[in-house]
Parts: sequence; structure tokens; C-alpha cells
Amino acid sequence: MRIFKSIKWRLQIWYGLILVVVLAGFGITAYQLEYGRQMRRIDGELHLRFGMIANVIHESLPPPRNHPRFGAPPPDQQPDDFPPRQNPPPEKFILPPWTLGFFDTSNLYGYYFVITRDGHEIERSTNAPDQEQFAYPTSRGSVTEINRTEEPPYFQKNDPSVKYNGGYNYDADYGKQRMAAGQPGQAWMRGTFREVITDLPSGEWILVGKNITPELKELHRSGLEFACIGAIILLFGLAGGRWIVSRALHPVESISATAIKISAGDLSQRINVAEAESELGQLAAVLNSTFARLDAAFAQQKQFASDAAHELRTPVAVILTQAQTALNRERTAPEYRETVEACQRAAQRMRKLIGALLELARLDAGQEPMKRLKFDLSQTARDCVELIRPLADERGVKIISELPPLEITGDSERLAQVITNLLTNAIQYNNPEGEVRIAVQSQDGAAILTVSDTGAGIAAEDMPRVFERFYRADKSRSSANNGLGLAISQAIVAAHGGTIEVASEEGAGTTFTVRLPVA
Amino acid sequence: MRILVVEDEPDLLRSLAQALREEGYAVDTASNGDDGLFNAEGTDYDAIILDVMLPGMDGWEILKRLRKIKKTPVLMLTARDQSRDRVRGLDTGADDYVVKPFDLPELFARLRAIIRRSANKTTNTIEIGDVTVDTAARNVLFKDKPVELTAREYSLVEFLALHRGTVVTRTQLYEHLFDENESSLSNLLDVHVSNVRKKLGAEFIVTRRGHGYCIE
Repeated sequence: MRIFKSIKWRLQIWYGLILVVVLAGFGITAYQLEYGRQMRRIDGELHLRFGMIANVIHESLPPPRNHPRFGAPPPDQQPDDFPPRQNPPPEKFILPPWTLGFFDTSNLYGYYFVITRDGHEIERSTNAPDQEQFAYPTSRGSVTEINRTEEPPYFQKNDPSVKYNGGYNYDADYGKQRMAAGQPGQAWMRGTFREVITDLPSGEWILVGKNITPELKELHRSGLEFACIGAIILLFGLAGGRWIVSRALHPVESISATAIKISAGDLSQRINVAEAESELGQLAAVLNSTFARLDAAFAQQKQFASDAAHELRTPVAVILTQAQTALNRERTAPEYRETVEACQRAAQRMRKLIGALLELARLDAGQEPMKRLKFDLSQTARDCVELIRPLADERGVKIISELPPLEITGDSERLAQVITNLLTNAIQYNNPEGEVRIAVQSQDGAAILTVSDTGAGIAAEDMPRVFERFYRADKSRSSANNGLGLAISQAIVAAHGGTIEVASEEGAGTTFTVRLPVA
Repeated sequence: MRILVVEDEPDLLRSLAQALREEGYAVDTASNGDDGLFNAEGTDYDAIILDVMLPGMDGWEILKRLRKIKKTPVLMLTARDQSRDRVRGLDTGADDYVVKPFDLPELFARLRAIIRRSANKTTNTIEIGDVTVDTAARNVLFKDKPVELTAREYSLVEFLALHRGTVVTRTQLYEHLFDENESSLSNLLDVHVSNVRKKLGAEFIVTRRGHGYCIE
């Protein structure tokens, strides 16, 4: 599906999922804490009531002598001092009147059971649920197992002088401390009832319980509130997330919109870089510079293609005009010959031009590998001078060579092409009876080749453009030069890792300097 | 009709001039901008074929300077075919624009068109009494029958017909019918006029003594 492929939506889905997990974790924890807090409060209440009953029972049921759970009597008291249990457990307990409020018939308050060690019910409050309703732990197995591992928690020897109950009194504070320490007595839920069961030193079990439906309802309501608040936060979070994601991805959209326009062919488009500092701003800047380079390269290619076509138009026009004129009527043989010769000249010019164009295209594409062989640059230069001498003689130009041996690594044929081109230019643009000087020297680990002439020089405004393709200072198409020679030379030198420079003084002459690495 | 061709490619210039001469035009040539402007300013040509890329002064510059003093029809000849260049050419004052390589018949047709327009004619045929001059076919009908005229005679008739009702001086005729290389003997024109009168009737060309010739 498209929606899941969009980064925007994927981010939002992940973000939403994380938000849900965090909120749910938070809500559940908060609910648990609240639940625990409520339960501790209820348990505390139950223990308080337990204490009341325990005290009443204690008063009527003093602990038996040598009760295993009480251990040895205090050292200053003989075991005989403990009042022995002589009476059977009473049938009824009389709770003090002030406690009755805690155990009245309303279910909202607590109820209690008192059970003998062997499981007989001694007493129960009037509001206690039917026994059948509950399977409270008369099977003491599970309960006693836990409780017998430690001293009876709620009783404490506080006043040895009080003898009738062995000086053991219920210690409500201790119960509370245990609550606070997270060790409530045996408390559990039975349906909507919360119950605490504890055994007395005398062996009786007391179960205190309370119907906590209202508290549970309240907890339930809190839970719902948590859920609602969570849902609202989730909604706000999603909306905020959507806004942030949209904002963050807005530059991506603008980049993509620009890229679409560029791919449609409008290379002049640029991404609007508003925040250059951000990662996307940097990306946009990088893309912009790439687009600019592409644009420039395309423009150069277009210009090159247009120039090439333009250069080819004139020779085609010559051939066409010559042929059409010749065919207009019957001509004499010399006239035909002249026409054919003109056509041949035009065709030769096209051939040279096409060759140069192809060579330049290959050099541009890096498809023309340069050989890397050791050779004597001066020897190559001498060969070139010999090759070009007839042209120089024809124009009365003198060539002065200064060529000490200098071995370099490179493609001797290609460099010979460069030297020949420079020499041809130097002779063609020289004054009659002028001079061309060619010199080779070594300098700072580089080979320097200079070709200078004593011609008219190059005008200052033409200087930056001499290496441009099809650029000719004289603007004339009729010269043998097609305007690509220096561009090709420059490409060849660059492929060798070298540079080519021009210096010229109008009226005094021009010097081309080629700098090549020796190795 | 006298034409100036300014073109720096020698083979093209030569064949173009030859083809135009064979069409009956008197042709002057220039192979660079400065000569071109000098000729264009000094002579009243019927049309100028002007290359844009020239050594020295380029075609744009020549056109700009020429337009300050003359309304000679100019046909620009160029290797650039981008509409930007065509617009520039036409806006600078060129009357038409032909891209190299061109087709000779088309070039001639465009040349005739700009000459015709400069003479305020809309069609190629001019009717003068019993005589009909067809400038496209370069022939003349007299009483609906074709008349054999030499190229120079036709040019004379065409020029006078294009300037019908105005007196054309002998100097003007010399300028428009002969190029700079021809030795214009003063009686050569009289010979042509006399031949035309023999073929198309004596009243066809009226002599205004001391002024020149006229077709009424």
C-alpha cells in the first residue's frame, strides 16, 4: 500500500505505536500504584479492626502456657506465671460498644469470623456473608504454613506486670509498620471482598473482611479516567507528531518537487535553501551544487553541439551551392573541375572537423587512454619541428630550438600532437620572416615546454577564451584552423596531469607554456 | 538589379556570385566586414546578402551602421538557426533570414521577394500596356507572346518596370545593371535600350532628354 511506503506515514505509525506503549505503560503503572495504595489503606483498616477483636479475644482467652508460637516466657517470669487456659473458649464474644460501629449490619463496614484451631466457627459478625458463600481457609494448610514461620506479628510483650494475658497485647503500630513495609498479613481478595486472616497466639483464627465494591468501583472509574486522559494525550501527541513530521519533511517535498522539475528538463531550477544549517539544508546545498554542475555541463554540451553543427553548416553550404550552380546549365570541363575541387576542399574541412570533434568527445569521456612510457620529450619535439619545417619555410618563419634531452613518462604521440599544434599556430599567426622558439627544460620535477612566436599577439579580451572550443580570435571560418586545436591540446595535457598556459603581448608575440609531470 | 554579397568563405562567395550572375543580377562581392560596409554605404544596391560571422566587423554591426543611412533590403545569411538569432537579425533591420546550408532556388526566391517588397509590389508580374514582366520566371510577354531578351535587356526592363512612372537616370541604371568589375562603356546602355525598343515597341521606354529613361 502506498501509505506504508510514505516515510511520513511510517514515521507517524511508529511514533504513534511508541506513544501508545508509553502511555499504556504509564497508565497501567499508575493504576497498579493506585490499586496498591487503596488495598494497603483497606488492609490497614482491616488490621485495625482485627486488633479490636484480637484484644477482646485475648482478654477472654489468655494464651496457653508453652504455646510453641510464643517461645520461652520472659526470664523474670516463670512459665507458671502465665495464666493457664483453663476455660474452654467462650461461645460468644462481647465486643466493646464503641467498636460496634465498625461491624454493624451495613455491608460497607467490615465483618469478622473467629474460628478455632480445628476449624469450628466460634463467632461471626452479624453482617458477615454466608459461610457457604465463601471457601475461606479453614483448611489451614496454606495459611498456617506461612504464618508459623515467624513470630506472631501483632502481639508484643509490652507490660510484664499485666499478667492476665501474659503481657501480650495487640500492637496496632506494628501492624501498620508491617503494612507500610509491604508485608501485610494474609490478605486476599475473595470476589469483591477483601479479607485478612491471622492466627492468635492462643491458636484461634480471626478473619476480618470488608466488601470493597465501592473502592473497586472508584478504582474502575480512575482506570477509565486514566484511559480517557491517555487517549486525549495520544490524540494531541499524534496531531503534534503529524505537524512535526510534516514540518520536518517539508524540505524533502520541496527537494522532490524541484528534482521533478529538473528531471522534466528544466535544469535551471534550484532548491530553495531556507535552513542551510540543518541536515536537509546541507543536502539541498549539495544537490543544488550538483544541479548547477549538471546545468553547466549540459549547457556546455549544448553549446558544443550547436557550435559543431554551426561549423559544419558552412562547408555543407559550399558543397550545396557549388553543386546547384554547376548543375544549373552545361559547363566546360575546367568549370566542373573547379566545382569539384571546391567541393573537395569543403569535404576535407568537414572530415578534419569531424575527426577533431570525435577526438574531443573521446577525451572528454576519458575513453582515450594515454600511454605511460618513458621517452625523450626533446626528441619528440625535434621530430615535430622537422615535420612542420616546410610550412615554416613557406612562410619564411625561422624555428629556433633549445632542446636538451629530458626524459618524461607519457604518451609521446599525443604530446607530439600538442607540440605540432602549438608550432602550427605559432607559424600561422606569425609575421612573415618572424621567429618561433621552442624550448624544453626541467624545473621543480616538472618538464616545461615553451613555444613562443613573434607574431601580433592575442588581444587581452581574447586571452581567457583561447582554449575555448571553436574560439578563433579572427572569427573567420576560412582559415585552416577549426578552432579546436588548442582545446584538444589542453585536454591531452590535462590527461597527462599537466597544465597549459598562455602569455601574450600585443604586437610582440605569444608564448604557450606546457607543464608536464616528469614521472 | 545589383546585389552585394558579403561572405568570408571564398568557395561559397564565388559560387554564390556566379549563380546570381547567371540569374541576371549584377553582383559585387566582399569577403570581410569592413569592405562589405564600405560597398554597402557607397552604392545603391537592390539587395545585400550578408553573412553574420565575418572577420573584422560582423554582420550585425554592418546592418546596424547601414540602417542609419540606407533602406537597402538585406538578407542575412548565417549558420546559427536558433530563433534567438533570427529574432535578433530581423529586429536589427534585416528583411529576411536564411540559414546555412541553404537551397539556391529558395535563396533566389527570398531575394526576389525582398526586392519586390522594397519596390512596393506584391506580385511577381507587372503589366504595362501590352507588356507583362514576370520577375519570378524572368521573362517578358508582349501581346501574350514570349519575347526573347538577353539577361541584361531583361534586367533593364525589370528595373524600369519596378520604378514605373519615375525617371531613372543613366547613372542609376549603370549602378544597378553593371557590377564594379564591368567596364561600363557609355553607349552600352543606349544599345540595350534600342534593342528593347525594337522588341517591345518604340514607345515602351520614354527618353527624358538630359534626365534619363522612364516607363509610363
